[in-house]
Amino acid sequence: MTSPATTSPPSGRARLAPALLWAAGAALVAYAFVAGGYLVTVLGFAALYAIFVTGLNFFMGYTGQVSFGQNAFAAIGGYTSAVLTTAYNWPVFAAMPLGIGAAALLALAIGYPTLRLRGHYLAMATLALGMIVQEIAVQWDRVTMGYTGIAAIPPLGAFGRELPNERAQLAALLAALALAVWVASRLKHSRLGHALAAIAGSEDAARALGIDVARYKLIAFVVAAVYAAFAGSMFAHFVGFVSPEVFGLHMVVLGFTMLYVGGIGTVYGPLVGALIISLLPETFRGFKEFQDLAYGAALIVILIYAPKGLASLARLWTRRGAAPDAAAAATAGTSRGDAGAAR
Amino acid sequence: MPETTFLIQTLVSGVGTGFIYGLIGIGFCVIYNASGIVNFAQGVFVMLGGMITHALLTRAGLPLPLAALVAVVAVALIGVVIERAVVRPLWRRNATMFVMILATLAAQIVIERLTLLAAGDQPKTLPGFSDAAPLRIGGIAIGVQLLWIAGVSLLLVGALALFFARTRTGRAMRACAINREAAALMGIPVARMLGFSFALSAGLGAVAGILITPTQYTAFNVGVPFAISGFIAAILGGFGSALGAFAGGIMLGVAQALAIVLFGAGFKNVAALSILLLFLLARPAGLFGKAH
Repeated sequence: MTSPATTSPPSGRARLAPALLWAAGAALVAYAFVAGGYLVTVLGFAALYAIFVTGLNFFMGYTGQVSFGQNAFAAIGGYTSAVLTTAYNWPVFAAMPLGIGAAALLALAIGYPTLRLRGHYLAMATLALGMIVQEIAVQWDRVTMGYTGIAAIPPLGAFGRELPNERAQLAALLAALALAVWVASRLKHSRLGHALAAIAGSEDAARALGIDVARYKLIAFVVAAVYAAFAGSMFAHFVGFVSPEVFGLHMVVLGFTMLYVGGIGTVYGPLVGALIISLLPETFRGFKEFQDLAYGAALIVILIYAPKGLASLARLWTRRGAAPDAAAAATAGTSRGDAGAAR
Repeated sequence: MPETTFLIQTLVSGVGTGFIYGLIGIGFCVIYNASGIVNFAQGVFVMLGGMITHALLTRAGLPLPLAALVAVVAVALIGVVIERAVVRPLWRRNATMFVMILATLAAQIVIERLTLLAAGDQPKTLPGFSDAAPLRIGGIAIGVQLLWIAGVSLLLVGALALFFARTRTGRAMRACAINREAAALMGIPVARMLGFSFALSAGLGAVAGILITPTQYTAFNVGVPFAISGFIAAILGGFGSALGAFAGGIMLGVAQALAIVLFGAGFKNVAALSILLLFLLARPAGLFGKAH
């Protein structure tokens, strides 16, 4: 079940770019803690999205499946936190697990029948899932306040104490992100991760090896949903506000843009992508509409002009050929990330 | 019996909305048949049809028929632009279906946001095409706009049937649907057919958007729900059959109208999407279709 390609270390060239990115990222975080201010918010968003995209990556990059409806699970996490902490005065650390649990249950219930679908049907079904949850958030206004959204959500905290300022919140987010990435990396190199890689390579071959394909796909879907709900819940407490708009389709497109920029199928790709994409449109600061425009356009440009990166994805998607070459994908992913940032 | 009247009234308006879904569904089929691509940006054509007509009407002061005509042509051109700028480069490279879906979805977002910047986020509506009193049959009122929707839709479907059966271009497009490689070998310019299918599909979507707007409203973000409804219509019809998509649209419209009676107007999109999920799971080949 273990293919040599998935366990071999990346080559020297593949290591240099990430090392530079790590150094730049660390310097940025350090500067944010010293200087404070708006950069803290930006990095907070980057961390939230990195968690969300790590989940997306788990389902798409590792397992080779597709979901355009991850915003549904983020919305469930975010709204559960928001409603329970504002209307019912629940503590943050009771509301958050409940939202994540609800998202996991929904993923299980929806994923069981839906993941049998393929291609356009799976894409449209997951897209519909995101739309359904968003519509419910709009229409169920007794609970969700409709378009107005829920404001004054308490910030992160525990045991009756709220974290004192944005820097402390950022520290908490970064710790959560570190945990999320560590878990993803452990899972990737576990028995589960190898099974998922086999499924991404070829479902039929995986089945022939005795892997319960449907079950593993479902597990990956639930894991992705848990990540999305976790990110959604943290978002609610970090920003203090949720509305249906927050968890719209643009969240999905933004997530994909980050995943492509950072490198799909790699452990640290979501981090890199989330950081770069969160920093880039700060030049458009204050123009929310321009941001989504920029993300969408950037994604199209990457999809069209980064055929090398797409080649690795093509293998995942068609589930043909040999076991996925994770090292090659990582190299392609990071170089693609640089190219995306340079444009 | 007020109950029955109310029910029939609801069904009638459901059929009207269904025509619109049918037109959008046909738009999906036209592109899918020509290229094997499912264009996830289909909804922007519907949205742009209503928005551009509104802009021409209020800002440029054009009369409604002229504004509608210009809008349809403009949207058809936008369809060609999407095809050239986004779809064709990927198609040339034999990009995977997933990449194509993602790219068209991104195009959807880009156009939505451009529309938001140009026209703001306020919902807009159009005046009815004629302001005659609604037709009354028994206790049932049929709005004149509904008659417009039915008339134009049926006319378009008839014209499309003739187009695909009789004209050279229509036949070439059908040949592409059957086997693109063979069509190319027979000298049919397959790439040009792709562009043409986008123009046709975008025009159809724009007509649907212009027809429906007087009865509802339009805004920068109405596209995706319409696209999903049109996609459901296409699936109900077995994906690929234009007539099937049209019939599927009418069925969806009726089912949605019934859902509104049962659960209230707010949940009509939830109802439509749930129908989609149920159908995908139970009968992905559609009501009439054979398994792919």
